[in-house]
Amino acid sequence: MNVEMKEIVFFGVAAMTMVPCFFVAFSRNILHSAFALFFTFLGASGLYFFLDADFLALVQLIIYIGGVLVLLLFAILLTKNIDNIRSTNAVAAKRAAAAGVVTAAMFGVILYAFLASGWPFRHSGAGQYPAVTTKALGKLLLTTYLLPFEAISILLLAVLIGSLVIANRSVK
Amino acid sequence: MGIIAIQSYLIISLFLFLMGIFTTISRKNIIGIFMGIELILNSSALNFAAFSRFSAHNLEGQLFSIFIIVIAAAEAAIALALMLSIYRRFGDIDADKLDSLKG
Repeated sequence: MNVEMKEIVFFGVAAMTMVPCFFVAFSRNILHSAFALFFTFLGASGLYFFLDADFLALVQLIIYIGGVLVLLLFAILLTKNIDNIRSTNAVAAKRAAAAGVVTAAMFGVILYAFLASGWPFRHSGAGQYPAVTTKALGKLLLTTYLLPFEAISILLLAVLIGSLVIANRSVK
Repeated sequence: MGIIAIQSYLIISLFLFLMGIFTTISRKNIIGIFMGIELILNSSALNFAAFSRFSAHNLEGQLFSIFIIVIAAAEAAIALALMLSIYRRFGDIDADKLDSLKG
């Protein structure tokens, strides 16, 4: 019963991740797309919880929903005329047809690779997955992966300064 | 534990990736294109975490997920600053109309 319940919830979370993608891809109103993206990010966070990746799930919530989505809404409200918001998210008809063909072809190729692979998902040097990931992740970040950690902190500093400079540049 | 396996995660993330590709190619609005890119990044981070959990049983894949999320956030900040700057200069963020290099 317990496992059944878990699987039902997993189905719900997966549907919450995938169904709003249609709105992101096909909605004419860009605000609707942004709100659909909210549900997709929320569902992805739930999927991380099902992977026992608690830290990653919380990071997804904080950064994607608290940061990226809020920035996205700000950009929508600052750049577009709210009066004609219904036509703000137009689809280029020719490119949409091309995109449909490309997507279908990619789906075919990836599905073929998926089915033909014979599930090589067993890892030989498999370790022990920890019960709580935050402590282990912190240890890894500050020992083995210290250099990427520092590099990405420099990247964030550059982004902070760069975005301020770009957004403040006045029109000549 | 039949359903919660790596295959279902791969299918979900394949779906997110294809939807992201479709959105990125077909939209006219730069913000719409940006939403597609976010979907693609999200699917790749999900894939890394799924392989880390079900295949390797260690945490290094999750580290890659964290780096992807951080890079996505950095990209969001830069892209939205660029959008505001473009909008102020051209009065529009339609990707088809921005064809002047000199500005």
